[in-house]
Amino acid sequence: MSDPILIVQALRKSYGEIEAVRGVSFQIARGEIFGLLGPNGAGKTTLISMLSGLLEPDEGRVLIGGLELSRHPRAVKGRIGLVPQELALYPTLSARDNLLFFGRIYGLRGRRLRERVEGALEIVQLTDRAKDRVDTFSGGMKRRLNIAAGLLHEPEVLFLDEPTVGVDPQSRNAIFESVQALNRAGMTILYTTHYMEEAQRLCHRVAIMDHGQIIALDTPSALVRSLGAGLIRVRLPDPAADAVIARMGHLPAVKAVRRQDGYLHIETHHIQEALAGLITAVAETDSTIGSLEILEPNLETAFLHLTGKRLRD
Amino acid sequence: MLRQILALVWKDLKVFFRDRGGVIVIFLQPFMFIVVMSYALSGMYTPGEDQIHILAVNEDRGSRAAAVLEQLDDMEALQVEMSWEGQPLTRQMAESLIVQGERSMALVFPADFSAALEQDPVAGERQTTEVLFIADPATPDSVVEPVLGTLRGLLERSVYAAMTPRGLDLLFERLAPQVPADQREAFKSQAQAAMSGGLLGEEEPVVTVTRAVPGQMRVEQFPDTFQQNVPGYTIYGIFWIVSLLAGSVLQEKREGTFRRLLAAPMGRATMLVGKLLPYYIINLIQLAVMLGASSLLFGMDLGRSPAGLVMVSLAAAATATGLGVLVAALARTESQAGGLTVLLLLSLSALGGCFVPRFVMPEWLQQAGLMTPHAWALDAYQDLFVRGYGLVEVLPKVGVLLAFAALFFGVGVWRFRFER
Repeated sequence: MSDPILIVQALRKSYGEIEAVRGVSFQIARGEIFGLLGPNGAGKTTLISMLSGLLEPDEGRVLIGGLELSRHPRAVKGRIGLVPQELALYPTLSARDNLLFFGRIYGLRGRRLRERVEGALEIVQLTDRAKDRVDTFSGGMKRRLNIAAGLLHEPEVLFLDEPTVGVDPQSRNAIFESVQALNRAGMTILYTTHYMEEAQRLCHRVAIMDHGQIIALDTPSALVRSLGAGLIRVRLPDPAADAVIARMGHLPAVKAVRRQDGYLHIETHHIQEALAGLITAVAETDSTIGSLEILEPNLETAFLHLTGKRLRD
Repeated sequence: MLRQILALVWKDLKVFFRDRGGVIVIFLQPFMFIVVMSYALSGMYTPGEDQIHILAVNEDRGSRAAAVLEQLDDMEALQVEMSWEGQPLTRQMAESLIVQGERSMALVFPADFSAALEQDPVAGERQTTEVLFIADPATPDSVVEPVLGTLRGLLERSVYAAMTPRGLDLLFERLAPQVPADQREAFKSQAQAAMSGGLLGEEEPVVTVTRAVPGQMRVEQFPDTFQQNVPGYTIYGIFWIVSLLAGSVLQEKREGTFRRLLAAPMGRATMLVGKLLPYYIINLIQLAVMLGASSLLFGMDLGRSPAGLVMVSLAAAATATGLGVLVAALARTESQAGGLTVLLLLSLSALGGCFVPRFVMPEWLQQAGLMTPHAWALDAYQDLFVRGYGLVEVLPKVGVLLAFAALFFGVGVWRFRFER
């Protein structure tokens, strides 16, 4: 990577016996929107906490803009913006008072503070509600203000942790537009989400995380391409499964077969031919199919294929 | 760093003053306690305002019983009632009033009371009589015994005064009948003077009892009901900051603003100071409002040492805020913090003498009270308000309060979890 703004090297973090993050390494290029996907408990929040300086890693290091986070925490924190998953706002204060407060915490003051607050309100389209208390806002408006609070100091890297949870489609579109506008203006964004269509629409590259590790990292289209023409997910009794894997592996329509949490996952070059081959193979083993799913090639399927879990479970 | 602290302080003060519930807990609640309890207990602290009422039935045909009752009525703490709703009291009426719970004690002087006191032993009279003291069995001994003691004292004095001259007459008749009448009278009047005054024949009694205060206390008056209750309930009130501070920290953790602040370019010490300082300021405002309002509205004397008052208030507020940090560190949820706060606040306030003065408690409980910062703060305030002490005299108590604050703050910061 020619110009990485964020470099993560062999990051580890344990809570007692539980290893939450197990040797994670990746880089994010300047100006990139980088998606981080993973089921609940995959270690995403721990990872984001370490990247934003909230948690000390047990091992490994984080460099942002060439500076090591553990050595220059204040300088690095000034370059990053965190939009936490929670609505991290003061509900009894107005939108403007919230932003003025967070701006002051980031060292802004005077005219520059006022300009940045008005600018952030404009980006998230809340200028006309600036004087209103946050507890009178809809969920979508709170989400947008939550983002605005992370933008005040014009960070080079913005961590957006599930920024669209619980918002209406209109607000979601407004958030997408804001994220894309910020990215066009040069901001690098690390985006975690449960929604595959968001990752597919917004992210230049996506990392899939499970059990504290990154198990796949590529562009959304490359991840989808790896599924070929589609995925067949089938449950078979154990004795039959090995025989079916052996037979299917030789078929030209089949790209790969593997076991995943009690299912067989069959990646295909041609879905109908692979399906016909599967039926034949099962008949030859004198077995019966427990359940069968044909999944179209998209990021959701890629996630299920890699982790064995659906993202919204 | 200073600007960040100021931003944090300003934010939390703004959040606090917009929260009506918090303002009620901090200002209105202790003030209501002060008003209600001060008026309710005013009789305990203001002489003459809440006297012990004693019904008196005087069946005496002479004047001796009336004289005893008059002396009894002259006592500041006692009020003798000889009639009820315009009717002179009879024994039956007095007993009914006790049964009805209107009064708890009654005296019945018999018809032969004066006759018994004025009997002539020389003529061979030997007469006894009985004054009846009727009391509701539910009346505590701590009330009955002092009244009974006073009554016995007055009766003995009355008996001596009435019977001594006749007793002396009897002695002269039996032992020295040859003494002339004028010498007898002179001796009798000297003896009577001794009964009512000094043995040397002067009016001054040989022994008198004077109520006084310790020499080192510069006091002009005894504490009034507000001087007792205002410090007690103010201290009880300032410790409610524990609930607000711990609640605010845990709410910020739950809502994620704490994470956002931790991600900012700001040291943890700055963040902690910025989080505590507004609550310390609220505590000081609370103390100023409580004591100021009590002084203005009720004319409570705040003592003579503004420097002492400021030092005690700064130390007491530091202790309360320190306890807030400790609870915020130990509790994991807001409901845990709420439960822990109520348990701590009520038990420490009660033990520390905020509700009931510690001197009425058993000795072991008084000693246990010294384990609470409340007892030290209350004592320090009463040193200033009631005992007339100055800054130097209260400094040791200020030191103890600051030690409590350091302990709470130290353990609180040590156990504080920034991450979760």
